[in-house]
Amino acid sequence: MTIAPILRSLLARHKTAGSLVIVEIALTCAIVANAVFLIGERLQRIQTDSGVAERELSRVQLAGVGNQDDPHGQTREDLAALRAIPGVDSVTITNQVPFGSSSWNSSLHLDPDQSEPAAHAALYLGDADFLDTVGLRLVAGRDFRDGEFLDYHPEEGWQQMLEVDTVIITRALAERLFPGDSAVGEVLYFGEETPVRVVGVIEGLMRPTGDSADAPGHHSVLLPVRTPYTIGGSYVLRTAPSDRERVLGDATEALSRPGASRVVLEQETFEELRAEFFHADRAMGWLLLIVCGALLIVTALGIVGLASFWVQQRTRQIGVRRALGATRGQIARHFQVENLILTSAGIVLGMGLAYAINAWLMQRYELPRLSWIALPFGAVTLWALGQLSVLGPARRAAAIPPAVATRSV
Amino acid sequence: MLHMRTISKIYRTELVETHALRELDLHVREGEFVAVTGPSGSGKTTFLNIAGLLEEFTSGEYELDGESVRGLSDDARSRLRNRKIGFIFQSFNLISDLSLFDNVDVPLRYRGMKTAERRRRIGDALERVGLASRMGHYPSELSGGQQQRAAIARALAGSPKLLLADEPTGNLDSQMARGVLELLEELHASGATIVMVTHDPELAARAQRNIHIVDGQATDVEALPRPGHGGLAATPSRI
Ligand SMILES: Nc1ncnc2c1ncn2[C@@H]1O[C@H](COP(=O)(O)OP(=O)(O)O)[C@@H](O)[C@H]1O
Ligand SMILES: [Mg+2]
Repeated sequence: MTIAPILRSLLARHKTAGSLVIVEIALTCAIVANAVFLIGERLQRIQTDSGVAERELSRVQLAGVGNQDDPHGQTREDLAALRAIPGVDSVTITNQVPFGSSSWNSSLHLDPDQSEPAAHAALYLGDADFLDTVGLRLVAGRDFRDGEFLDYHPEEGWQQMLEVDTVIITRALAERLFPGDSAVGEVLYFGEETPVRVVGVIEGLMRPTGDSADAPGHHSVLLPVRTPYTIGGSYVLRTAPSDRERVLGDATEALSRPGASRVVLEQETFEELRAEFFHADRAMGWLLLIVCGALLIVTALGIVGLASFWVQQRTRQIGVRRALGATRGQIARHFQVENLILTSAGIVLGMGLAYAINAWLMQRYELPRLSWIALPFGAVTLWALGQLSVLGPARRAAAIPPAVATRSV
Repeated sequence: MLHMRTISKIYRTELVETHALRELDLHVREGEFVAVTGPSGSGKTTFLNIAGLLEEFTSGEYELDGESVRGLSDDARSRLRNRKIGFIFQSFNLISDLSLFDNVDVPLRYRGMKTAERRRRIGDALERVGLASRMGHYPSELSGGQQQRAAIARALAGSPKLLLADEPTGNLDSQMARGVLELLEELHASGATIVMVTHDPELAARAQRNIHIVDGQATDVEALPRPGHGGLAATPSRI
């Protein structure tokens, strides 16, 4: 390898221009590493598993206008009407859905005297069809039994819904509350008094708003509670994916019967819900990607510019090297190795800088610590960029004829 | 060592065709010190470039060290240059980014020589031209004469069969020119084959044999032994 003399000549003769490119590469490397890390985070968020059969689900949310008499009766009629729509496999009503804008939560205790809650979790209230309709999978225990369901009457106070005897919890929550044990048969407390027994464990169900500071995304509890449509919940319909749009139209029509004093607030597929929910993440991901792309282009141009300048400046030297026996490949390699030295120096500097930028972001925007995995990404990107950028100039250098050594003065 | 038969070189541009060499016949034997003279534009540099495999010829036969070079690939020509030929240029052509050590190292690295071997050869070559103490210096820190001696060291280091020099003293004042010429004579005395292009008749007179190129054709002018010029007398001919 011819690294040593190239390095010596860089240090002796091309310090300024070389340093500028190194700094440019370092900055780009640091920013790209951070951006890759942030994009990775967003991507991971966007791919969050909700635990429900998203592709087959749609929801319709109603709001009552004025006083509603017999909301439970209305709800039963609605469910029957929805079930009658061709293509609907099953229907349920729930107080909340994943990716929805509101979330019902409670702290959970393992014994009533405990002052610190053992966990926080989202409360899903669902009827007997809830589990099957949204596509939840039991991994232990059983589903609710018919006798265990109660009707929620908001006018009796919100605590009334907690008068159930049984709950089903997610695996994530079970592992948190009863590590190493099967949670089935265990007792827990809402607040500090109401005991309930765990009868089943489901694989997962995302909290409506996802991860939060006090609870991971899959800490959820299912309660055997029938809610009326008036509390801001949703009807959830399960259909074949291809039927969703039509069924949603039919459902909206079925629920907007004339004379009923209520309006359809929302109607959408779960895919739309998800897209909306992660809209900001996706936008940020794209923005970062575009910034990276622009930065890489500018850096590539910088490398091409300097390498082209050096090739031109050293035309005679290249001719002399060829006269002394360098092959075309050896001339091209000279510039490739030179580029490798510069990018490597830039990358080393850039790694340090990446952590500095990350530390600053952590302080200002509460971002997590840069994962080291982002660094090889940045490094490989810039090595590749450098080699790609220098290819043109290196080939031009290799094409300089050896006669230049004797012909030009 | 060097046999050219009916070598022609035509430079074609859009407008003109220049016949730089016309069926040139030229032979140099091993161990000879030949001066090539001729008016400006007569084809001397063209001849030297073809001899040194820097350029290809249009037609004819060229045999270097017993091997025909017609139709060789660019890489093969590069390797042949690297092993068999040492160049000395009018304008020295040292690489200004590199120290003397690294300059002399250039052809050795292209040959892929081992580090220890390169070190030894660089040391020997610079020693031979009296610049061993200047190894770490850059070309710009040396006088013209010293630069040309460094360039000769670079040409020598790979022990080439043939030294080609194009006006090696053209950019030097007469005192430095004398120094460089004496060095060439020394090299010749120790067995090197040298072909030197010059338009200075006084320099040419010190070579063993003169070849005159006019209008792309060579006329051999056998130098007569003259008193005061030791070149020929001191060197037993190997013909
Ligand atoms: N690359 C080239 N393209 C066109 N013509 C050239 C080229 N190189 C040399 N010539 C022409 O070839 C002729 C011989 O040139 P050269 O060998 O350099 O002469 P000398 O070295 O004897 O002065 C001149 O007429 C010159 O103009
Ligand atoms: Mg000339």
